[in-house]
Amino acid sequence: MNRGSAVKFEKVSKRFRTPKGTWYQALANLDFEVEAGQFVALVGPTGCGKSTALTLLAGLEQPSIGSVSVNGKEVQDIDTSTGFVFQHDATFPWMNVYNNIAAGPKFRKLKEHDALVKSWIAKVGLTGFENNFPHQLSGGMKKRVALAQALINEPSLLLMDEPFSALDVQTRSIMTDELVALWESTRSTVLFVTHDLEEAIALADRVIVLTAGPAQVKADFTISLPRPRKARDIRFTAEFLEIYHQIWNVLKDEVDIAYQRQLVAPSGKK
Amino acid sequence: MAEKYLTDREIKQKNLKHRVKVHSLQLGLAFLLLGSWQYMADHNILDPFFYGRPTGVLHQLDVWVHNGTAIGSLWVNAWVTFYEATYGFIAGVVLGIIFGVFLARNKTAAEIFAPYIKVSNSIPRVVLGSIFVLWLGLGSVSKVALAFVLVFFPVFFNAFQGTREADNKLISNARLLGASKKDVLRRVIFPSALSWITASMHVSFGFALIGAIVGEFLGAQRGLGLLIATAQGNFNPNGVYAAMVLIAIMALTAEFLITKLENRLLNWRPTQVSGSDL
Repeated sequence: MNRGSAVKFEKVSKRFRTPKGTWYQALANLDFEVEAGQFVALVGPTGCGKSTALTLLAGLEQPSIGSVSVNGKEVQDIDTSTGFVFQHDATFPWMNVYNNIAAGPKFRKLKEHDALVKSWIAKVGLTGFENNFPHQLSGGMKKRVALAQALINEPSLLLMDEPFSALDVQTRSIMTDELVALWESTRSTVLFVTHDLEEAIALADRVIVLTAGPAQVKADFTISLPRPRKARDIRFTAEFLEIYHQIWNVLKDEVDIAYQRQLVAPSGKK
Repeated sequence: MAEKYLTDREIKQKNLKHRVKVHSLQLGLAFLLLGSWQYMADHNILDPFFYGRPTGVLHQLDVWVHNGTAIGSLWVNAWVTFYEATYGFIAGVVLGIIFGVFLARNKTAAEIFAPYIKVSNSIPRVVLGSIFVLWLGLGSVSKVALAFVLVFFPVFFNAFQGTREADNKLISNARLLGASKKDVLRRVIFPSALSWITASMHVSFGFALIGAIVGEFLGAQRGLGLLIATAQGNFNPNGVYAAMVLIAIMALTAEFLITKLENRLLNWRPTQVSGSDL
């Protein structure tokens, strides 16, 4: 397939000022590409800069050095062809389910979006809850609203920042399956940040392991488990366990490094 | 040990019982307070010449309603005070919101205006009443102006803070979903600042009434403030209390309407923990 790279990090470094006035290096020389239509999971230890990589792709922040491009264009500003599912709830609390999901089409001044919105409400299984406000929904339902809100705009690139980390384990595996099903019907490029290796392998075509911050690519695995996948069942197969061990062997050193650092210097950053 | 669930009817009855208890105790307390006041005034423990008495207040209200006051019809005077407070309130709320949101969104402007706002906020604003009477005359305009300055600052500060506290993640999300700057302001920032703004509106109507009445004290031709000043000049404490009763009714009505408006605007919020509203 020659679809070109949907995402390209070229020698990207990013640093932030900490409240104490020192610099915090989140990314150093991050360099990788993602092919269009690929589902890529970024895994790495806590605080390694995974989320920063996503905010650069969305244009919410700019790299300090280097460049980030999406579909061949350098990201300069917030890019509305990108969908973003946040770690914590980012649904609008003053809009009901319908209006939350309709937010994108309305902001984009799309006429006749009613049928589209209703079809997405049905796709994420929220028919009957159109008039509920987010605080009246469970954590899993709120995530479904967030997913539909991002996907209804048919983003060419979907960025997900540990979207299911706040959910309980059971809801999480259900949501993983639902995400797989939704993605298999749209096949947009996905960058999925997680620290849960199981989730990463179950979902992705490719798992990129990042080093303990500042993030660099440590290893790159192709996951050739057959699709369509059922995330809930796949993790008991031999192939899954084998790839799991391979990746874990690489990841665990970085996790140790990050953990040791935390013990030495409790840093201000999350 | 309970053996059966309570039925809906039993729960209702229990709640009703509780409400009856609360209301009868409230009434009892009112009777006790007003009754002891009346008793002490009747037996000259409190000098009714200075302290008045409840029946005197009722009589005063009756006279005002039926015969009018020394400065004209009661309704005209009440209405004047009400609209002065209301105009000042509306102007203060609208401009407070506009300035608050604008300065919170515009860092440079906020830095420029910060010392001016601090200085003007530190002036005891009631003092401005005298200046407004000098500038704007004895008519309603000077009272509206005083009510306005009293309302403006609390609303302004709350709108400013509410806007600042708007969740950055929600703003990012809206922009990624395709929202224009105007959309972000209308659909994200304003709704999230709204609970701050409505909170300030509750206290502000009280301030607006203070502005109107103090303005009328300082010099006016009509209004409840003038009515109070006149009663005070005539050593008529019952008149002062009677005007206070009218003002309280006005404030409570406004509070009721503001709460209605708030519930309408903020219907998306989780229902507050149940308990008594103060």
